Amino acid sequence: MNAIEVRDLRRVFRATIGTIRRRTKEVVAVDGISFDVRDGELFGLLGPNGAGKTTTVKMLTTLLIPTGGTATILGHDVVQGAGSIRPRIGFIFGGERGLYWRLSAKDNLRYFADLYHMDPDIAKRRLPELLELVGLTGREDEKVEGYSRGMRQRLHVARCLLHDPQVLFLDEPTMGLDPVGARELRQVIQNMVSQDKTVFLTTHYMFEADALCERVAVINHGQIVALDSPEGLKGHVEDLSVIEVEVFGIAPAMVDALRQMADVDTVSVEDRDQKQSLRIHSPLGSAIVPQIMQRLDGNGARVGRVTVREPTLEDAYVRLVGGEV
Amino acid sequence: MKQLSNSVRIFLGGAVLSYKALFRWFRLEPYLATKIIAPLNQILFFTLLGSFATGPDTASFYAIGNAIQLTAMSGIYGVTMSIGGERNEGTLIYLFGSPANRLLTFLGRALVHIVDGMLGVIIGLTWTGLLLGIDYSQANLSALGLTIFITTVSTSGLGLLMGCLSLVTVNVMFINNTIYFLLLVFSGANVPLAKFPVWVQQAAHLLPLTRGIQAARLIISGSTFVDVAPLLAGEALIGVVYVFVGYILFSWFEITAKRRGTLEAY
Amino acid sequence: MIANLRVIRTTFELDLKQQAVDLFMIFGVVIQPLLIAIMAIYMLSERDASRGIYVVVGSGMTGLWTSLLFRGAFNINAERFMGTLEGIVASPSALATVVIGKTLASVTLSLLSMIFSYGLASLVFRLPLSVAQPVPFLLSLLVMVPTFIAFGLLISPLMAVNLSLSGWVNALEYPMYILGGFLFPILLLPGWSNPLSYVLAPYWAARVLHATSSGVATPADVLLSWAMMLLLGILYIAASYRLFKVVLRRARVDATLSLM
Repeated sequence: MNAIEVRDLRRVFRATIGTIRRRTKEVVAVDGISFDVRDGELFGLLGPNGAGKTTTVKMLTTLLIPTGGTATILGHDVVQGAGSIRPRIGFIFGGERGLYWRLSAKDNLRYFADLYHMDPDIAKRRLPELLELVGLTGREDEKVEGYSRGMRQRLHVARCLLHDPQVLFLDEPTMGLDPVGARELRQVIQNMVSQDKTVFLTTHYMFEADALCERVAVINHGQIVALDSPEGLKGHVEDLSVIEVEVFGIAPAMVDALRQMADVDTVSVEDRDQKQSLRIHSPLGSAIVPQIMQRLDGNGARVGRVTVREPTLEDAYVRLVGGEV
Repeated sequence: MKQLSNSVRIFLGGAVLSYKALFRWFRLEPYLATKIIAPLNQILFFTLLGSFATGPDTASFYAIGNAIQLTAMSGIYGVTMSIGGERNEGTLIYLFGSPANRLLTFLGRALVHIVDGMLGVIIGLTWTGLLLGIDYSQANLSALGLTIFITTVSTSGLGLLMGCLSLVTVNVMFINNTIYFLLLVFSGANVPLAKFPVWVQQAAHLLPLTRGIQAARLIISGSTFVDVAPLLAGEALIGVVYVFVGYILFSWFEITAKRRGTLEAY
Repeated sequence: MIANLRVIRTTFELDLKQQAVDLFMIFGVVIQPLLIAIMAIYMLSERDASRGIYVVVGSGMTGLWTSLLFRGAFNINAERFMGTLEGIVASPSALATVVIGKTLASVTLSLLSMIFSYGLASLVFRLPLSVAQPVPFLLSLLVMVPTFIAFGLLISPLMAVNLSLSGWVNALEYPMYILGGFLFPILLLPGWSNPLSYVLAPYWAARVLHATSSGVATPADVLLSWAMMLLLGILYIAASYRLFKVVLRRARVDATLSLM
């Protein structure tokens, strides 16, 4: 049984620009995507910022109506059957907002319990259980405005689980959390799946998708460019080795020149404080290192450490999104 | 000489900044709503209420009273915000750390609101002429203009003082709203001062606007400049006192904050 | 059904909590009406003796309207800015039920302003404050509550649909005091404005409250006012029903109204 079925889903945004001469601009945020998510699966949607992840989630959670295509959640259409879907799903959108800052955590949860038409007796029982689950017991009477980022995110988790939904949508849930908080949250997510809930997770952290998801769809520019298990996705880059070069201050023109080289598949650059980390994919592996060094030295770039390694899911992802991480 | 040009620069700089801040969000609709329609509505309401209370022939009493009182919209809201707003933005701390002459910075900010305030009053008086048929033919217009100017400045003086107070309280808007309405009640805009108990009348004369409104009413019904000169002098004096006290308070806050190390509170 | 009532009740409680400590609301619901009452008491001192209750009712109405207007304009918009509107729209509860709860909180709090004015008039000014026809008066207050809720239900989506309209709230305060005949009869207004008054429920509320408190109301008057309030209430609800649909369509279909 599929919890989520998506067929050719499309969402176009029309914006009018200018006050005197008005032009309409059309942005295709989601461009005909299709996939299924099985009951009880932990499914990941991975992609860079602006790829269409959040728009997809909004359509699946009945906040946006698709411009084209169809989607069903638990057999109900997201447009026609929104009323049947809403009590059965829960969602978190990453970020600070979505809670009432002037109210306490307990009042926030009470409110959402009522919004979700929960039986008051059940709500009364579940509230302390959930506070316990997310580690907020003892602080539930404090106003949310005094909470740290991590605590707010945990309250979001409690909120979305309150009415015991069958399908959960988590949109970049660990964004902005410290590593400890993020790890704890991932643990909670795994627990959800062990309770037979279906979890649809969006993220742009590759290692997160790798660690948590059974299957991952990679999305870029509104289209799905790959859909497979993390292992399967790594297969996309089996033929490639990854050469990681530490450089200090490299010009974009130099990076482009590297990209033009024969036998270089993709080059991505990651900024880390004073230095940059170049990640070069090439089927030649260590054999291509001398050529790369020649290019870099010849142009006066200062080079640090060089390593050659096997590709990870992250590399598969980089390749799939064409290096534009 | 350099001192003078520096001073002018600080003064005008503050004025330009204030102007930009005021009009950063300039859009026709909110301006129309707040500066032209809302004041008219206030005049209409109280003039109608006044006509109901004391007869239609007394309409001009209320119309003029409210039109002049409108200067408090800029003098209080505008000026108080220009100081309290600095605090909200967190930029006050930079002002405190600068060598700029405080008084000039202070006054420069008020300049824009003074112009804005006078404009508001003139718009208000125009409405009374157009819609309520108030007769301005007897009025010495330059005396009226001077009255508007002095009253606006003195009200802004109160605004500067309120602005300083808003540095230590939480809710600037609450102060603004309350002062604005207290002025409306006790300045004689709607209630002839003679109706209040004596001690209230005395307190009312410590406020700006009280003498200014009286003067305006006299001028419009034909009094000469000489007749109202004492009132205008009194109004001007009140304004100076408020600016002075406000400035002292402002400096005191700065010194205290620096001494106690509580600048971050600002 | 019961679940919806629970939503209304919880929203009511929580919004009441928040409004009661909101200085802006305290000004609009307590201080401003009191200051208006003071002015009116002095200004009307040469008119008849029942002005005590007249001013109490009138200034109370101003507090009610100010609260309905300012709060109503931000019921939906505030949720939007806080990022909580999505949570409501995606829930099984209708947006309208949340707005009803909030409006009920506003109306309840602003009835307070009538109580404060009453205290002012009796304790400070020692004015005679008897309500001549207490039963019709109280019943009129009861009829007024759902009518004002219906009005609030209209204002919120209207201001949400057109955000720039909410910039006009400052300009809409006094006109209602004027057209509603809160502190002076609409006889003073030009005849062409009367139809405007007649389609405003607050006018009928003020009319019947003034009439019953000063003792001049006939049964026909009272029933007419109640009938108009209820009729207008129904019209407001019908209009707001359409407006809520527009709000949701713009949010979900056109995506021109960001839920965030």
